[in-house]
Amino acid sequence: MWAMLTLADARKRFGPIEALDGCSFSVDRGRMLGFLGPNGAGKTTAMRAVFGLVQLDGGEVLWDGRPVGLEERLRFGYMPEERGLYPRMPVGEQLAYFGQLHGLTADAARAAASGWLERLGLADRIGAKLEELSHGNQQRVQLAAALLHEPELLVLDEPFAGLDPVAVRTLAETLRGEAARGAAVLFSSHQLELVQDICEEVAIVDRGRVVAAGAVAELRRRSQRRQIALQLDGAPPQWLPDVPGVELVQRRNGDLRLVADSRVDPQQVLAEAERTARVVGFSYGPPSLAELFLELVGR
Amino acid sequence: MTGRRTITLVARREIRDRLRSRAFLYSTLLMLLLVGGSTALNSVVSREQSYRVAVTAPVPRGLDAALQRAATPFDANVRLHVLSSAAAGREQLDAKKVDALLLLRNDRLVFRANVDTKLAAVADTAVRALRRHLPPAPELTTATLRPPDVKTTDAATAVAYIGSLLLLMSLAVYGQWVLTSVVEEKSNRVVELILSTVRPRHLLAGKVIGIGLLGVAQLALVAGLASVLLAAGVFDAPASLGGSLALVVPWFALGFALYAVAYAAAGALASRQQDASSAGQAVTYTLLGAYFVSYVALSADSSGTFAHVLTVFPLTSPLVLPARSALVGVPLWEHALAVVLVLGSIDALVRLAGRVYAHGLLRSGSRLGLRTAWRLSHRP
Repeated sequence: MWAMLTLADARKRFGPIEALDGCSFSVDRGRMLGFLGPNGAGKTTAMRAVFGLVQLDGGEVLWDGRPVGLEERLRFGYMPEERGLYPRMPVGEQLAYFGQLHGLTADAARAAASGWLERLGLADRIGAKLEELSHGNQQRVQLAAALLHEPELLVLDEPFAGLDPVAVRTLAETLRGEAARGAAVLFSSHQLELVQDICEEVAIVDRGRVVAAGAVAELRRRSQRRQIALQLDGAPPQWLPDVPGVELVQRRNGDLRLVADSRVDPQQVLAEAERTARVVGFSYGPPSLAELFLELVGR
Repeated sequence: MTGRRTITLVARREIRDRLRSRAFLYSTLLMLLLVGGSTALNSVVSREQSYRVAVTAPVPRGLDAALQRAATPFDANVRLHVLSSAAAGREQLDAKKVDALLLLRNDRLVFRANVDTKLAAVADTAVRALRRHLPPAPELTTATLRPPDVKTTDAATAVAYIGSLLLLMSLAVYGQWVLTSVVEEKSNRVVELILSTVRPRHLLAGKVIGIGLLGVAQLALVAGLASVLLAAGVFDAPASLGGSLALVVPWFALGFALYAVAYAAAGALASRQQDASSAGQAVTYTLLGAYFVSYVALSADSSGTFAHVLTVFPLTSPLVLPARSALVGVPLWEHALAVVLVLGSIDALVRLAGRVYAHGLLRSGSRLGLRTAWRLSHRP
């Protein structure tokens, strides 16, 4: 069976820049995929390709195994990286317009618009022009424009950028709700802790191709490296455990952060430490998503 | 979802957006005031018209008084020249000493070359009153000494040039609206969201149709008012010219579609609001060029070969056709050919502009060169 959205070997070149170089990934119904990568990795280009805003030089965008066309895109929701709505158009009318462009009837679009404004706490601003709203509220309207027609696929480019912690939590809940409703959710972000918290799956893209994809826990576990943190009391200043495959990342006071090959036995490191000083704290585990990201795309 | 529904939605949004801005309402009011105001001015400035009418002796008692009574509502007065014979009257008429010759025995009112409807009405009313006859049969039949002048009247010339000037201005103004609308969407970045569900050519068509409908409505109001005033004889011009003036409206629609699509493509090429005016200049200069070529050609010889060519050439026909039909009349086949050619050009331009639009809209960094646009137009 096909995943809902599949990018298959997508290629796009802008002059000398290879924006997409055989980029492939997929998002399933009811799943949330975090799309990660350094600036210029090709995330926005890939997202635009889903909406036909970028004509691919090669490869395909598939929906249920078939090439995506305008009919399919009507059932998609999109929040572009560069936010933009009509500044002088009343908020309610504006949302209803986007709903209708997605194929809702005028009545259904109006009802959905007022429903979403209610949910976002903007019910009393339905007749206000967009430009009269605060920046944060404009962002909410932008989100509503993407969600209004209950899309089957939701694509959001950097939706968390510039949000305060409360707004981040609200948006994360909204997106989880959309996935629970059955939508496939794809979003890009640089906030890796956040992605680790709210996403089951990620795709990490670098230089136009996916370098890692899958469940976050699985990717972390599969890493060749392990993180070791040691808190020592009374260790010599330059002390390091004499275990092959262990490297120092950072030393501050008595705290050591080490990275080890996954085949290294942590007990061996702990035993070495106990021989030299009193061990106050010890932790061992797979790298965090942020560390994994740096490991994969760090230059 | 059908293209037509999308186009309707886009067009409706454009119309609402313009109506909300009030600038549209003010400009409509201003144009109506200008037309109405020029009418008022016309009636204030034009002094009482006086006619000289020759009549053969013996003159019936009361004719003079009856003529004056009948002329008063028309802001005119009539001076009678009593002559001995009809032949003498014809001589005087031919020598432009009098404006008409009234032959009561034949129930006939003779003009030199063109029938003056106002004077005919005055004389008819006066004679009817004198004979105590009732309407509706006319008392007098009108005739002319010579075949009517085929030479165009001053009024026709005025209608032709004012009409094409009105067209030129409307095309430029509403075309600029389309350009602004395109650039605004681009600088607001809302265009990325729109184009994720709407085909560029549907967005383009919706914009052009929406703004075009507003333009047609505004022009129809103004041209309609002018036509009504013409028909009511407020302007001293043949009522048939109202028809030529009415031609301005459909030709505005065609010309607008052609030039607005070009303006939209220019807007898609511009990257920022500041670039919009320079991007639109190429189109504006083309439009101005078309106007001046048409003006020169029509002034030199409105029936010449060049004028015929310009009548059917798509870039000039919207400006030339209404003007020429007011001046000399245009055969039906030329109307048909011009319409077909303009429609064909619009179709071709929409395809080209759709491509430029799709490519240029998402580029906000640098201005898209014309060469790139040309290359795009040649891609399969």
